[in-house]
Amino acid sequence: MSTVLEHGNDSRVDGIRNRLAPRAAGLALAGGVVLLLSGLLSWSYDDRILGDISIRFYPAGIQVYVMVLGAVAIALAVLLFRRPGWLDPGRGLKAIGLGSLVFVAGALLAITVQAGGLVNVNEGAWVALVGALLVLAGGGLAAEVDLDVRTWPRLKSSYEILIIVLALAMLLFVTAYTLDVENSATFGTLLVTILTVTVGLLMAGLGEYIGFIGQNNRRPLVLSAFLVAFLFPFTQGGSNANMSIATQILIFAATALGLNIVVGLAGLLDLGYIAFLGTGAYVGAMLSESTFATIGWKPPFFVVMLCGMAVAAVFGLIIGSPTLRVSGDYLAIVTLGFGEIFRLAMFNLDGNNGPDLTNGPNGIPGIPDLNFFGFDFGETHTVAGIPLGRFSNYYFLLLLLVALVILVFSRLNDSRIGRGWVAIREDERAAEAMGVNVFGLKLLAFAVGASLAGLAGTIKAHQDTSVTPDQYIFLESAFLLAAVVLGGMGTVAGVLVGATILKLLPEKLREVNDYRLFSFGLLLVLMMRFRPEGLVPSKRRQLEFHEDDEHLVELAQTEHLEESK
Amino acid sequence: MDAFAQQLVNGLTLGSLYALIAVGYTVVYGIIQLINFAHGEIFMIGAFGALSTWIVLFKGQTALWMLPVMIVGAIAASVVTAVIMERAAYRPLRGAPRLAPLITAIGISVFLQEGVRLLYGKVPGFPDAKQKVPFPVIDGITGQSWNPGNIVIQRAAAFTILALVVCAIGLWIFVNRTKTGRAMQAVSQDPDTARLMGINVNRIIVVAFIIGATLAAIAGVAQGLQVTNINFKMGFLAGLKAFTAAVLGGIGNVWGAVLGGLTLGIVESMAVQFVPGTFGGSPWKDVWAFAILILVLVFRPQGLLGAKVVDRA
Repeated sequence: MSTVLEHGNDSRVDGIRNRLAPRAAGLALAGGVVLLLSGLLSWSYDDRILGDISIRFYPAGIQVYVMVLGAVAIALAVLLFRRPGWLDPGRGLKAIGLGSLVFVAGALLAITVQAGGLVNVNEGAWVALVGALLVLAGGGLAAEVDLDVRTWPRLKSSYEILIIVLALAMLLFVTAYTLDVENSATFGTLLVTILTVTVGLLMAGLGEYIGFIGQNNRRPLVLSAFLVAFLFPFTQGGSNANMSIATQILIFAATALGLNIVVGLAGLLDLGYIAFLGTGAYVGAMLSESTFATIGWKPPFFVVMLCGMAVAAVFGLIIGSPTLRVSGDYLAIVTLGFGEIFRLAMFNLDGNNGPDLTNGPNGIPGIPDLNFFGFDFGETHTVAGIPLGRFSNYYFLLLLLVALVILVFSRLNDSRIGRGWVAIREDERAAEAMGVNVFGLKLLAFAVGASLAGLAGTIKAHQDTSVTPDQYIFLESAFLLAAVVLGGMGTVAGVLVGATILKLLPEKLREVNDYRLFSFGLLLVLMMRFRPEGLVPSKRRQLEFHEDDEHLVELAQTEHLEESK
Repeated sequence: MDAFAQQLVNGLTLGSLYALIAVGYTVVYGIIQLINFAHGEIFMIGAFGALSTWIVLFKGQTALWMLPVMIVGAIAASVVTAVIMERAAYRPLRGAPRLAPLITAIGISVFLQEGVRLLYGKVPGFPDAKQKVPFPVIDGITGQSWNPGNIVIQRAAAFTILALVVCAIGLWIFVNRTKTGRAMQAVSQDPDTARLMGINVNRIIVVAFIIGATLAAIAGVAQGLQVTNINFKMGFLAGLKAFTAAVLGGIGNVWGAVLGGLTLGIVESMAVQFVPGTFGGSPWKDVWAFAILILVLVFRPQGLLGAKVVDRA
C-alpha cells in the first residue's frame, strides 16, 4: 500500500519536473541576472565590514564576487538553452546555485556577527538570496545530459593553446588578487566564490574538456604554466609577505613531488619521508658558513647540494634495502619508525649523548644566505623597475628545483622504470613473474625520492637560516602524504594543487589557525571516504577506485585512443 | 644486580602497558588486516574518559572505590569512540585499496588528538587540555612505594601489571570459552567460510574493536595513575610502541602481543641501564625501541610467536 502511495507521489513530482524542465534555462538565466544585479545594490548599512559594501552602483569586495557568480550562472544558462552534447550546464548550475547560497549565508553571517545583528543587512543580500535560489532551481530542474565525450569540439591547435594561456593568465590574476586580500572574512567569501565557480565549471564537464585540450598540447601547457609561475613575483611589488608563503609552498611541493614518486608511482607508503628533507637540511647546515656548523669543511653550495642528495639517498638505501622486502602496511610503520629515529637522533646528538653533530634541540642557526657568483640571495634586486626581495630570489631557485623534480618525475613515469613501478604497485607477484626487477626498482624509487627531498632540504636550510629537529616531526610527514593524497596520487598537477591548498589556507585563515590540524584530520578521512583518487586524479587511479563507472571507463578509452593517434 | 632487578620491574611495568594496548592492534589486524593507526588515540581517550568520570562524579575525592567506576567510564569513552570510528570511517572502506584505510587512520588519529586538545576544555567544569592535565590521586594506588631489597616498586606499577594479568585471563576465557570468542577465531582464520557458517562478520569486527578499546582504556587509566598527568598526545608514542610490540610478538596473535609488549618493555628498560657510552640512557631509549621494530621486521617478520599473515600485508 505504502509503496503504491510513494510511487504515485514520485510520478506526480516527476510530472511537475517534466512540465517545468523547459523553463529551467529561463529560471537559471533570471537567477543569474538577479545575482549580477544584487552586486550593484547595497548589502549592509555598515560601511566598515567586508570592504565597503554599503554603496549602491559601486560594487566592491563581496559585491564583485557575487557579480562573478552571476556572470558564470548566466553563461551556463545560455549554454543550457543551446544544449551542447558535451557539456552538462544543468549540473554546473546546481553547483553554482548551492555555492551562491553558501556565499550569501556566509555574507549574512559575517554581517550579523561583525556589525551586530541581522538588521544591518541591506536589500542586496536578500536579492542575492533570491537569485541563488533561482539558479539552484533552474539547475535542479534541467534535464540531465548524458555526456558524450566524442562530440568534443575540435579547434585549431593555436586556439587550444590560446585557451590554455588565457586560463593560466586567469589563474595568475586570481592568485595574485586572492593573496592581496588581508581580511579573513573577505578571504573566506572569496574562497567560496572561487570554489563555487571551479566546482560549477567542473560539474558542467568543462574540466574534462580542459584536460583533453591539455593532453593535446602538453608542451605549451607546461611552458606557459612555468611562465606564469615565473611572473608571479613581479605581481607582488617587492613585498615579502606573500613571497615567503610562496617559497614555503614550493619547498613543500618539491618534497611532496618526491614523495609522489615513492607513493604515487611505486605504491610504497612512506610515513617518514620528512626525514629525508631533514637530512638534506642538516647536511646543508653542517656544511654551511654558519658559525654553529659542527663540521669544519665548507665547500661551495653546488657540492653541498650533491652531498645532501647523496647522504639522503644513502639513508634511503639504508632504510630501504632491508625493509623493502616486507610489504604494504609494515613498510609504512618501518618508515615511520625511521622518521622518529631521525628526529630523536638529531635531537640527541649534542655532544652529551653521542658525538656533537647537530647541537641537539637548539639546532644550527645563523646559516648565511646563498651567493651564486656574486648574486646575493639576501639582497633586493630590481628588475625592470620592480623590486624583487630576498624571498623572490629563493622563489626563482626553488622554481628551478620544482621544474627539475617534475622533469625527473615525468621522465621516470614515462620510462620502462615507471611502467615497472606501476606493475609493482598493481600486483607485485605478477610483476615479478613478468621479469620486473621488483627489489631493484623499489630501492630505486626510495633512493630517487630521498635524494630529491635531500636536495630540497639543502636549499631549505639556507632559506630558513636555521635548522632544528622540531621541524621534522611525524606530522610533517603526514602533511606531505596528505598533499599527495589530496591532490591525486601519481599526478604532478594534483600534488601542486594539494601542496598549495595545505600550505596556503592555514597562512591566510589565521583566525581559525588553531583548528588547522583538526580540520586536516577530518579532511583526510572525508577524502578517503568520498574522493579517494584525489582532486586531480590520474585516470588509472580513478578507475582503480571506481571500477564499475562505465562513463569513466569510456572516457579513459577515448583519451587513450586520442593519445595513440 | 639490584640495577638489573630494578630495570626488570620497570620493564615489566612498561611492558604491561604496551601489551594492553598492543592487544587492540593485533585483534583488529588479525581479523581485517588493518593497522588501526588511531588505536593510540583510543588509549588517550580512555584516560580522558576516566578523568571526566572523576570530575563529574567525585571531584575532590580520593577513595579507592571510585577507581572501578572511573575504569568503567574510561572503557565507555574508548568503546564508543572506537565503534563510531569503525562504523563511520573504516567500514565504508572495506575492499578499497590498502592505502585508503591507512591514510584514514592517520586522519582519525590527528582528528581525535586535536579534538581533545581543542574541545575538552570547552565542556563546562573540565580543565583545559592544551597542556598536561593532572590525573586524580587515588588512595592506595598513588601512595608510598614498596621497597623490597633495594628496588622500588611503585603501587601504580603493580596496578598496571595486575591489570594486564586480569585482562589476559579475561581475554583467554573470552576467546576460548565463549561463542563470540570462537566466532572471532573463525573469522580471523577464514572470513568467507566463517560467513558461510552463519557468523555475522561485521558484528565480529565490531567486537574486535570493542575488545581493543576496552584494554586500551584500562591502559589509559594505568598510565594516568603512574605518571599522574595525561595529555592529548600521549597516544602517539604509546601507540607506536604498542604496535612495535604487536609486530614483535607476531601481529594477529593475541598472546604474541602480550609477550611482545613485555619483551619490548624489558628491552627498553635494560637499554637505558646497560647500553654503554653516550648512546645509552633515556634519550636514546625510543631509538632502541624503533631499531628493534626494524630488526624484527627484517629478520623475523612473522614475529616471536608468528601468525602467518605477513603475506597478506
